[in-house]
Amino acid sequence: MNSARKTLLAFVAIAITAGALWFNNRSVTPKEATWEDVQAEAQLGGYHLINTKDLWKRYNKNPDNLFLVDTREEWEYRTGHIKGALNFPMEPTWLSRWRKKGALEAFLGLDRDRFIVFY
Amino acid sequence: MAVSLGYRNAYRDPLGYPEWHAQGLPVEITPAGLSGITPEPKRPKPLYGWAMIWTLLGIFAGGMALNLTPCVYPLIPITVSYFGGRSGKGQLIGHGLCYIGGLSITNSAIGVTAALTGGLMGAMLQSPLVLTGIAAILIFFATSLFGFWELRLPSGLMQAASKSYVGYLGTLFMGLTLGVVAAPCIGPFVLGLLTWVASMGSPWLGFIIFFTLSLGLGLPLFFLAIFSGQIDKLPRSGEWMIWVKKFMGWVLVGMAAYFIRPVLPKTIGILFLAIVALAAGLHLGWIDRTKASFRAFEWIRTGVVIVSTVIATILIGTWVLQGPGVTWQPYSDELLSEAKRLKKPVIIDFYADWCSPCRELDKITFHDAEIVKQAEQDFIMIKVDLTRKENPVHEQLLKEYEVKGVPTVVFLDRRGNEQSNLRLVDFLPADQFLIRMAEAKKLN
Repeated sequence: MNSARKTLLAFVAIAITAGALWFNNRSVTPKEATWEDVQAEAQLGGYHLINTKDLWKRYNKNPDNLFLVDTREEWEYRTGHIKGALNFPMEPTWLSRWRKKGALEAFLGLDRDRFIVFY
Repeated sequence: MAVSLGYRNAYRDPLGYPEWHAQGLPVEITPAGLSGITPEPKRPKPLYGWAMIWTLLGIFAGGMALNLTPCVYPLIPITVSYFGGRSGKGQLIGHGLCYIGGLSITNSAIGVTAALTGGLMGAMLQSPLVLTGIAAILIFFATSLFGFWELRLPSGLMQAASKSYVGYLGTLFMGLTLGVVAAPCIGPFVLGLLTWVASMGSPWLGFIIFFTLSLGLGLPLFFLAIFSGQIDKLPRSGEWMIWVKKFMGWVLVGMAAYFIRPVLPKTIGILFLAIVALAAGLHLGWIDRTKASFRAFEWIRTGVVIVSTVIATILIGTWVLQGPGVTWQPYSDELLSEAKRLKKPVIIDFYADWCSPCRELDKITFHDAEIVKQAEQDFIMIKVDLTRKENPVHEQLLKEYEVKGVPTVVFLDRRGNEQSNLRLVDFLPADQFLIRMAEAKKLN
């Protein structure tokens, strides 16, 4: 292998590394999600949406039949959460979803018809 | 996600807690205290039975692996050439045993001392002077590998060794010195082992552990020594061996840079490591014109070039891209009373440049965006830099907060009382640290 090709390879390596570093460290400003975005997302994920008013109705009527899951970080949960909710920290990334799949099943229990609300 | 697991009634409340809270619906706050998270590390129990045997086997394997570290590695040819002069199997085995014996004596002595003196030994290996010394030794060996001088035993020692009886003593002595040279050099492993032994406080265990370590360290050398006669029959090495030697030399320089990094200011330390990586790549890839008869050599050489440039890029890149960190203030009594007046919780970080968990804490946890934000808003952040001793104010603080070592992070609540259950004495990732911050904020 001659010198020029070696130099080229070295520069390609530098470029790839720098790019990967930048990609990992770039600051992402989360877009303010509109109601339409949320709806589209729910459609895609196959789950239903519920608003605070309806949730309160259900919560007030029959709290025992409702399973509330707080998906925020533990420190957020500790500073305050909906009364009766349980904490299951989950980052909104596919990696985290894939990693925690088994744990989530154990967390939610065997009853597949339960009324579960995530927030 | 719950849907794909087969749960049919999965709902999401997109507005979540903030809206619920804003409407005054029932909420709940976890009671103060750290129940259910990170239990305090327990003092290691003395070992018995199978646990003991497994541990010793592990340490033995570790000792064998340490032979591959560049610090012990350059010593292998010396040892082999030293034993090469012997004749007769029986004599060789005798010498080999003496060699391992010498090595074990040094290492066991270190182990027992560590157990008796507590954490002192580990602390010594973190002191700037010792670190600089180790770096100097590494550089010294590196220059030999680069070919500036030839590593050879003094002729006096060689002559003394040629006499049979004195020879055994000479071998023992060589083993002793290998122990001395290698012990600080094999850094992280021995350091970890030392602190572990020290925390158990049993001289007998300290002896056993370091004896096993030196057995592992010595055994490959022992076999090499016994079969050293056969080493000549190995295929003829070519010019490429010199390149490999230079490569090992660069590894040593890199290790030296790594060892003195805690002594240097942060920026210079990183730049230094990056420069070493780049220089190694340049030297080994372009400047050095060694040729080899086999084709794989060029590929290996290019591989080394790419790895070294990637390392340099990562080092510089992570440093450049690192976001802003927590703004710290130096300690003063006024600052504490100000915090009490404002009813703000305080975090005091006892820090030193030469302590690696402190630096890690600083680099990762205190550069986390959420922690920086919360620290800015709700906390008074104080850093006590213990890198240099002799500061009466700091001495006073160490006594007041009963700080036994670094890192120590102390949390004061809004009234200025320490919350001792939150105290930290090791690195903690950002999400766990945020829990402690939430706890510190909570009271009142």
